[in-house]
Amino acid sequence: MERIVQGMNITEVIKSIRKAEGYFICNTARDLSQSDFKNRILLHTDLLAAKAREKANYFALEITGGASVHVDILRKQVDPFLKLELLREQMPNTMFQTLCRGVNLFGYRPYPQNVIRKTVKEFAKYVDVWRVFDFMNHIPNMQAVFEEVQTAGKILEPCICFSTGPEHTDDFYVKKVQEILDVTGEEILLCIKNHGGLGTPKRIGDLVSAIKQKYPELVIHYHGHNTDGNDVGRITAAVINGAEIVDAADHAFTGFYGPPPILTVIDTLKDYGKEAEGIDVAAVIETSEVLRNEREHYEYFESQFKGFSPTVQIHKLPGGAMGSSFEQAVKGEFLDKMPDILHDELPKVQIELGNYWSVTPGSQIIWTTAVSNVLGGDRYGNPSGDLKNLLLGKYGPFPFYQPAEWIYEKIFGENWREILEQEGGVEDIEDMDIEQERANLTKRLGHEPTEHQLVLYLQHPNDAVDFFKFEEKFGKVYVLPPSILLKRGGFALGDTLEFKDHEGKQHILEIGPEQKNEESGDWNVYLNVDHHQRMYTFQEEIAAGGTAKAIELSKEEIEELASVGDVRAPFSANVSDIKVEEGQDVAVGDTLVILEAMKMQTPVNSEVAGKIEKISTDLGQALKPGDKIVKIVTD
Amino acid sequence: MTKKILVANRGEIALRIIRAIQELNYTSVAVYETPDKDARHIRIADEAIWLGDGPRCDYLNIEKIIAAAKKSGVDAIHPGYGFLAENPDFAKACEDNGIIFIGPSSDVITNLGNKVIARQIMADASIPMVPGTQNLTSGDAGLQEAIEFGKKYGYPVMLKATSGGGGRGIRRIEDEASLVGEIPIARAEAKAAFNDERVYLEKVVLDPKHVEVQILADKEGKTIHLGTRDCSIQRRNQKLVEIAPSLIEDKDLLDKICDTAVQAAKASNYFNAGTVEFLLDKDLNYYFMEINTRVQVEHTVSEMVTGIDIVRTQIKLAFGKNLSFSQEDVQIRGHAIEMRINAEDPQNNFMPEGGKTITTYQSPGGYGVRLDGFAYQGYTIPEVYDSLLVKLTVHGYTWNETVDRLKRCLTNFVITGPKTTIPFYLNLVQDDEFRKGDFNTSFLDTHAYLFEYAEQKSEVNKIASLIAEIHHKQENPYAI
Repeated sequence: MERIVQGMNITEVIKSIRKAEGYFICNTARDLSQSDFKNRILLHTDLLAAKAREKANYFALEITGGASVHVDILRKQVDPFLKLELLREQMPNTMFQTLCRGVNLFGYRPYPQNVIRKTVKEFAKYVDVWRVFDFMNHIPNMQAVFEEVQTAGKILEPCICFSTGPEHTDDFYVKKVQEILDVTGEEILLCIKNHGGLGTPKRIGDLVSAIKQKYPELVIHYHGHNTDGNDVGRITAAVINGAEIVDAADHAFTGFYGPPPILTVIDTLKDYGKEAEGIDVAAVIETSEVLRNEREHYEYFESQFKGFSPTVQIHKLPGGAMGSSFEQAVKGEFLDKMPDILHDELPKVQIELGNYWSVTPGSQIIWTTAVSNVLGGDRYGNPSGDLKNLLLGKYGPFPFYQPAEWIYEKIFGENWREILEQEGGVEDIEDMDIEQERANLTKRLGHEPTEHQLVLYLQHPNDAVDFFKFEEKFGKVYVLPPSILLKRGGFALGDTLEFKDHEGKQHILEIGPEQKNEESGDWNVYLNVDHHQRMYTFQEEIAAGGTAKAIELSKEEIEELASVGDVRAPFSANVSDIKVEEGQDVAVGDTLVILEAMKMQTPVNSEVAGKIEKISTDLGQALKPGDKIVKIVTD
Repeated sequence: MTKKILVANRGEIALRIIRAIQELNYTSVAVYETPDKDARHIRIADEAIWLGDGPRCDYLNIEKIIAAAKKSGVDAIHPGYGFLAENPDFAKACEDNGIIFIGPSSDVITNLGNKVIARQIMADASIPMVPGTQNLTSGDAGLQEAIEFGKKYGYPVMLKATSGGGGRGIRRIEDEASLVGEIPIARAEAKAAFNDERVYLEKVVLDPKHVEVQILADKEGKTIHLGTRDCSIQRRNQKLVEIAPSLIEDKDLLDKICDTAVQAAKASNYFNAGTVEFLLDKDLNYYFMEINTRVQVEHTVSEMVTGIDIVRTQIKLAFGKNLSFSQEDVQIRGHAIEMRINAEDPQNNFMPEGGKTITTYQSPGGYGVRLDGFAYQGYTIPEVYDSLLVKLTVHGYTWNETVDRLKRCLTNFVITGPKTTIPFYLNLVQDDEFRKGDFNTSFLDTHAYLFEYAEQKSEVNKIASLIAEIHHKQENPYAI
C-alpha cells in the first residue's frame, strides 16, 4: 500500500484510504498531553520522539490545536509555529493534525471572521489535517474554517460531537452529517468526536453503522477518550462497523483520560482480522522506549487522582477537562464537594442547559455553573458572562430544547423575555481592524511583529505579548528538557545541566551556591555558565519560602467596599478587559472591567454612580481576591 | 613613628593611593559619604571616617575633611583627582593647619588655575601657545582688537570668558560677522555668570592631537619628565583611551615637547607631580594648553612605560625627599594603553548606568596587564558619582603587541549588570586606524561605526537566567 504522506491532497488521501483493506491510526499526542498532562508535554519531548514516530507511519500526528496553542505560549513558552517547523524538519512525511474549535478557533469564545480566516491561513501552511468542531454542533459556526482549509488545499475533517441521552439518536447524527456535507461537499473525512469517551462499544458501533449505511463512501475517523477504561472497546466496535481511522497514543505516556495505547488497539483488532495499515510496530515500541524516561519529569502535571473514572458516563466531562477539574478542586479546597458536583449537580445542569455537548467551551460553562451552584448554594445565582451568552443563544441555537424559563428568570430577571428578544441569537462579530492591531502590537513590542506573532496576538493579546517579551528576555527555551524547564524544588549544588541552544551550540551549566545578602535581603544565585561564573539576583519578596502573606478581605468586606465605590477583585482572576477610563462618569450597572478565571469571563459592574477616580489594575494582571480594581467617587 | 595619610577621594584613585601608602608602610585613612558605604576603598584602608550623607558635598567640604584629618592625626592629605584636588583653598587649608598637602603649593595651584595668569607665565617663559589676545579692552576698542585678531589668524576662533572654566563661558565663532554680534552677548553673560565681563580670543586648533607630559619636581626645583602621553581619543572632551608614549614618529619633536614641559613647570615654580598638556595641529605645531596640578587618571600608562611609581614618588616628594633619579635614568620601554571601563551605554550617548548591580565581574590578568578598579561582583554602582569602574592598562614591547594584549583582555573581561564601554572598546581595538596609531580628538565623531555592536547578551546567558530563576523559586514561574 502506498503510504499517506504530507503534501497529498484530499482526493489522494481518500483514494488511499478506500483502497486499503485495514484501518489507519492517528497518533493523538496533543490530546494525550492535554487530557493527562494538562497540556504540558514539551516540544523537547516531542522532538525526542519525532524520528521514531515518523518511522511508525501514522495516518497523522495530532500535535497542535485544542488548548495547546494557548498553553504553548502561556505555560511552555514555545512558539506554536516554530514548534511545527522544527517537528517538520524531523518528520518530513507524517501529516500534522490540529483540532480547531470552529468559530472559537483555539480559544474559548467566538472570534471575528477575519481573524478566523487569517489564523487558519497562517496555520494551514504547517497543518495538513484540520479536525473542526463546534460544541453546539452548529454548522455555521465552522463554516469560515471549512472554507479556509479547503482553499488552502488541506484535509478537512469536520466533526459531529457525540454525547448520550434520549435526544442523541442515530437519526439526529445522520442528519447532522448531511448538514455538514451540504456545506463542505463530499471530499472530507468525518470525525465522530467522542471527547468524553461516552457510550458503550455497541452504541458507537451502531452509530458508525448508521452513518455508513447512509453514506457508504464517507471516511469515518473515530476519536475517543479512555476515561472509563473502555475506549479500546469502542474503537474496536467502530472499526468493525466501518470506521477507517482511529485515535490512540504512545503507551509510555498513556494515562486515564486521554487516548488508549496504540499497541493495545493494534493487537485487539488484529484478532478480529483488522490490520493497522502501514504501521511499523517496532517503531511504535521504540517511540515509547525513547519517551519512557521523560515521563517522571511531568508527574506534577498528571491528575491528582489515579485510576479510570467510569462515572464519566454520568457527569460527561470531556477527557481534556478531567485533570484540570480535579486540580481546581484541590486548589479551591472543594475536593470534598466533588462527588456532589460530578454525580449530582453536573448531570442536572447538563440536562437543564439543554443536554448539548460537553466540550470546550460548553463544558467549561457547565462545569463552572455546577461548581458555583454547589459552592454558592444559590443555584444559578452567580452566572458567568459566558453562561448568559449561552442562554442568549450567542454560541448558536440549543440543539434539542431551550433551558427552562425559571433559569432565564433567575439569571436575567423578570424582563428576561425582552432581553432574550433584544439581545438573543448568534451575533455577527464585527471584523477586527487587523492593521490597527498590528500597529498596537508594534507599539507594545517596540518593533514590527512577524505574521506569526500577529496571529498569536489576535487570539490571545496579553498572553502573546508576555510570551514575546519572555523570549526576548530568556531566549528560546524549548531547547530545555522537562528535567530542567519543569524542575521543582531547585537543583542540587554542583548539578551540571547540558543543553543545545536554538543555534545548535552545546552548553554546560553548573549550579553554584545561593547566598543571601543580609543587608539588602536579596538572594544571589551563582551559576557556572560554560565555565564562566555568573550571578543572578532575586529580591527578597519573591524568595522561596519567604513570601509575605497578603491580607485577604472576606467576601462581605469586598461587597461592602464595592457598595461605596471601592471596587475589589471578588475572586482570583486575570483582567481581560478594562471598559472605563479615569475621569469617566459611570452609572449603576455599567461594566467596569471584565475578569477571566478558569477560562470564563465575568464582568464586574459598578454598584454606584459616580466618576472613576483611579484605575489600579492593568490589562492581563493577575488579581487576588480583594485586590484593588477601580475607585469611584460617588455623586 | 609611622606616618599617616588621609585620602580625600573615592573610587579607583582612592584605592590606588591607599595601596601606595600601605607599600610605604604608612597608615592610610579613607573618608566616605553615605552612598559609598559599600565602596571598596573604605574596606582596604586602615581607617575610614564617615564625612556625611553626601552626595558629592562632603567630599568637597574642606572643613569636614580638615576636621577628620586633625581628629585622626594625619601627617598629610592626598587629594587624588577631581573633588578638591585643584582647589587652592584646600591646599591652603592644609598648609594653615600644619598638614602636608600632597601636591604643589596653594600659590602654584592658584596661578595655574587662572588661565590668564597661566598664559602670562608661559608667555614670559616663551612657551608656544595657541595664538590669542589679551583680555579685550572694554567697549568698541575691544571689538576692534578682536576683528584684527580674526584677520590675522583666521577663523574659527574661541571667545572665552576670563573667569570662566570647565567649558563654561566658551563659544566658537565661525566668522567676523558672528564675532561682532557675539562679543557683547558674551560680555553680558560673563558679567551675569562670573561678575566679570572680561573676555578674550583664542585661535581654534582644528582636529588636534592631545599630547601631555608627566612632570615630577622636588622642593629643590629639580624637574624631570616621564615622557609623553596621547589622550586624543575623547568624547565630549572626556578622555576615554590614553597611551604612552605618543606615537608621533618624530622623536626629536617629542623630546622638544618634553623639554618645553619641563620649562613650563619650572617657570611656574612647580613642585610634586603634574601634567603639562599640549595641543598639536596637523602640521605638528604644538601649543601649551594647561598644567594639571594633580595626579591624572591616566598616570598608569606613564608608570608602565617608565617603571616609576608616580603616587609613591608624590608622597615621598611631599614629605621633603628629593628626586632620587635623574632625567637620564628615565627610560621609556615599550608602549602602554589605558582604557577607562565605565558603566555607561556608548550606544546611548554614554548614558551612565548608575544604580545597577554588577552581577558578573570577571577581570583578565596575566603578563603586562594592570587593573585599577574598585568594583566587584554584587556591587551596586551609586548613581551620584562618576561612572568609572576600572582602568584597564596593558603594557607591551611593541605597539602591535600592546594592542593584541588589549584586545585579549577586553575579550576576557566580563561585566554584566550595567552596560559598559567594553564592547565599544572591542570595536575600537579592531579598527585599522587605531591599530596604525592614527587618531586625533575628532576620532569618535568620524568613526560612528565603532558604536555598532550587538549587546552581548548571548542566548545561553538568557537561558541561564531562567534556570537561575527556576532554581531560586523552586519551580518555573512561567510554566506553573
